[in-house]
Amino acid sequence: MLLQYLSLMRQEVSLIFIAVLVLICELTVNQRYKKVVIPITLVLFGVHTILGFVPFDGGKLFGGMFATSHAQALMKSVLNVGVFIILLQSVAWLKKEVNFQKSNEFLILLFSTLTGMYFMISSGDFLMFYIGLEIASIPMAMLAAFDTFRSKSSEAGIKFLLNSALSSGILLFGISLFYAISGTIYFDDLPLYFSPVSPLFALGFIFFISGLAFKMSLVPFHLWTADVYEGSPTIVTSYFSVISKGAAAFITSILLFKVFFNQLYLWKDIIYLLSVLTMTVGNLFALRQTNIKRFLAFSSISQAGFILLGLVNVDSLGVTAIIYFILIYILSNLSAFGVVMAIANVTGKEEIKDYNGLYKTNPLLSLTMMLAMFSLAGIPPTAGFFSKFFLFTDAAKGGYYWLVFIAVLNTIISLYYYLLVVKAMFISPNEQPIERFRSDIYTRTALLITVVGIFAVGIYSPIFEYIRNIIDKF
Amino acid sequence: MQGVLYDFTGLIQSIDAVFRASMSDLWATVLEYAIIGIIYLVIYALIGLFLVYAERKVCAFIQVRLGPNRVGPKGFFQTIADFIKLLLKENIKIKNADGVLFNLAPFIVIVASFLTFGTVPFAKGLQGIDLNIGVFFIMAVSSMGVVGILLGGWSSNSKYSLIGAMRSGAQIVSYELSVGLSLVTMVILTGTMQLSQIIELQSDGWFIFKGHIPALISLIIMMIASTAEINRGPFDLAEAESELTAGYHTEYSGIKFAFFYLSEYMNMFVVSALVATVFFGGWMPLHIGSWQAFNHIMDFIPPIIWFILKSFALMYVIMLFKWTFPRLRIDQLLKLEWQYLLPISLFNVLLMAFVVYMKWYF
Amino acid sequence: MEIAASKVIFYIIAAAILFFALLSVTSKRILRAATYLFIVLISTAALYFLLNYQFLGAVQIALYAGGIVVMIIFSILLTSHAGQKFEPVSRLKFFASLLAVLVGWALSLWVILSHPFVASSKEAVEVNMDSIGKALLSYDRNGYVLVFEVISILLLAAMIGAIVISKKQPGDGETNPDNSKTSK
Repeated sequence: MLLQYLSLMRQEVSLIFIAVLVLICELTVNQRYKKVVIPITLVLFGVHTILGFVPFDGGKLFGGMFATSHAQALMKSVLNVGVFIILLQSVAWLKKEVNFQKSNEFLILLFSTLTGMYFMISSGDFLMFYIGLEIASIPMAMLAAFDTFRSKSSEAGIKFLLNSALSSGILLFGISLFYAISGTIYFDDLPLYFSPVSPLFALGFIFFISGLAFKMSLVPFHLWTADVYEGSPTIVTSYFSVISKGAAAFITSILLFKVFFNQLYLWKDIIYLLSVLTMTVGNLFALRQTNIKRFLAFSSISQAGFILLGLVNVDSLGVTAIIYFILIYILSNLSAFGVVMAIANVTGKEEIKDYNGLYKTNPLLSLTMMLAMFSLAGIPPTAGFFSKFFLFTDAAKGGYYWLVFIAVLNTIISLYYYLLVVKAMFISPNEQPIERFRSDIYTRTALLITVVGIFAVGIYSPIFEYIRNIIDKF
Repeated sequence: MQGVLYDFTGLIQSIDAVFRASMSDLWATVLEYAIIGIIYLVIYALIGLFLVYAERKVCAFIQVRLGPNRVGPKGFFQTIADFIKLLLKENIKIKNADGVLFNLAPFIVIVASFLTFGTVPFAKGLQGIDLNIGVFFIMAVSSMGVVGILLGGWSSNSKYSLIGAMRSGAQIVSYELSVGLSLVTMVILTGTMQLSQIIELQSDGWFIFKGHIPALISLIIMMIASTAEINRGPFDLAEAESELTAGYHTEYSGIKFAFFYLSEYMNMFVVSALVATVFFGGWMPLHIGSWQAFNHIMDFIPPIIWFILKSFALMYVIMLFKWTFPRLRIDQLLKLEWQYLLPISLFNVLLMAFVVYMKWYF
Repeated sequence: MEIAASKVIFYIIAAAILFFALLSVTSKRILRAATYLFIVLISTAALYFLLNYQFLGAVQIALYAGGIVVMIIFSILLTSHAGQKFEPVSRLKFFASLLAVLVGWALSLWVILSHPFVASSKEAVEVNMDSIGKALLSYDRNGYVLVFEVISILLLAAMIGAIVISKKQPGDGETNPDNSKTSK
């Protein structure tokens, strides 16, 4: 009995264990030994990430409130990979004097948001889903406001908190309408009550999907994104743009395929519209950004639009393509953010024009950034090409040729602004380029992982097959 | 057995039957609500007035004075005279104050206090509302009062009031935890939150004896914390007269001031009644094991008398607190709660759970 | 007749909720808005008591009236002073939001009212403390122990986050040493 619970909830339990361990360390460990906590956490989290890939059978617990399967475990593992890289990248930032005092708190908050995402992905009813969502978003606001000495950071925290409260309200109203229809909140029971579709269901669904769209920052619910991304500490921005977004995309796909499967004809148009709007508007805004963080924020908005491509056609290829896309998106975006962070940590510069001539002084960083940009844009040898390719194939298979056409157009637009950054680094002349510097071992490891990932995940096809196999079984 | 002798349930039911026979159900309900409401208001005011008198007498006793002694026998009608004076006083309008909130604040305070008063069980069958969640309801409703205090302090547009209100807010919010936890401790033992059931369960011994050590700890914490929660000395920082004139109700006059004042005393009564109910058996007479004769004699004393005796004894203790201890400073006050009372209460909850689990209670 | 009476009470409470909710969002003074919100929350609790769901009513009072509103009022007291008023909303904004509210309200109302709600066939269960306590700690279907435990993570994280945000930076504290010690 206990063993069954432990084996099904192993990822949650081990993550909470790490978080509590950090908390205990914070309370008991002497200040002198405090710097040991971060490497130990890294090692533990690395072990946790690797163990996450060990296959265990899925099942349901707590009367269906908690459900897990190979697919859900895989989604969590994908998030784990991202968080591990982020942890590596954060070490240099955490060791700064202003942040070191609260480095353990940072880790705890990070882990609790991840716990929330786990529970969200594994939720078997709306209550658990909502609680997971809140755990994933409330500590995020604290993380966004982590640089208490910068007013922009506090602003980001407040904006995120208010927006997530608003979106939760909208989401909850949708859920309450579902409850009004069915009288149950369990995902297994709900589909029975939803057909035939009533206007009330449609209304509830619109509220529900709007709430989720807020969390995923899809257009037209994206207005908070740029300010929050710009104001937050860079490490938190990268967390926002990959992990939060990835988790929200996962849960959206799970819910759409599990609970609202039979109402496909109703929601595919909504997703279609959201996808087109998000890709296009995100791109158009990204074109005119000069701050690299804002630029990455808008580019991540448009990337979320691509994720939705995998949802319009309901089949296992779609889900596979989404997971694959998010894995690669995590790697590429974290690679870009890793470079931004490495530079910001040393120089504090965040404008695109500051990157002019970077290649002359820091060739490796520039190459990494170039790879990341290529991968985000989807240029062939990098993994970004394959991930987009599979998404497009899936949408085309469902007969959504116009959608694919728009997506390809948007890819071309995005190519332009991604290459602008590359141009700045390699071609644009600069009198005073950023000085040559050497990052610490953690940042370099993180960047190495992402660079290897960007190549390997794309070229080494068993990874895609592995995901596909798991999804097929699900 | 002992309940049967002075059981008011039958009486109340027959009155109800008379009403329902003579008019339609709806009007009977409305009329009953109205009558009960008026009776409660009157009792509320009378107990409040008596308590003010009692406090002055206790204070005089501690300070070796006579206290009020001119109006009526032993000055018994002094507070009534004071009350009439308050009624006739001018309601001063404060310049630049937020009028709506200023007038609303005393009502919130007194409504919160009156709502808790409604649940006090005076005797079997003599209880305004016997909710299934009685203890929790009292906790919940009493926390409403702090809103009134904060509003009153803020809208008076005076810094003394504001400081008093802030202090009182911080104090009430923190001490509520200990009050709640010590009640939770007792609820673990009682297994119910319904006040009437809690009393029934004590027919063979009060919970203070049944629960022995954890119950005693819980009682001590409850007395300290609830004294603080009702803003009484030595925790009366909110109205510390030597520093803040009169704290959050500095600017109030006339009947609105009386509301604040009355609700403070009535909160004290409700707290004592609650402690008497949960720890000392409410209206249940004192019974000692197998002393049948003694128990029978005790049964003849009416439950109302028992209840009044117990709660007034507890109120006497609370009054003694006020007139014998020096006032705490705000940091000492918060330290007492967060560093001592709260951890002890948390531990006590565990201890009580353990005791109940091992069946080590009587 | 009982039903008629409870209907009358319901409409009174509902009217109070609507009225004060409107006042709360239109009031120009922030503390008044908070107070009206307080009344709305209390009236909602009254609605629960009318439904004979006393536990939820008491929770509503304890959490919202005693907890959250106090929190709101506290933060207002710390940040603003009496007599401060909101700036009036621009006319365009006002009408735009009015239009949005009316359309949204009409749409939702129409959809909800036109939905044929089926009365639940399940038997009504008495909601007393026992059943609530058991449901909270049950790990079967319709048991909430997992949520109950997971919320504690949320609360812990929120507390840690609050400490992180309000903690003084190493540089801030020099001008202001611990007052409580010096004043002794």
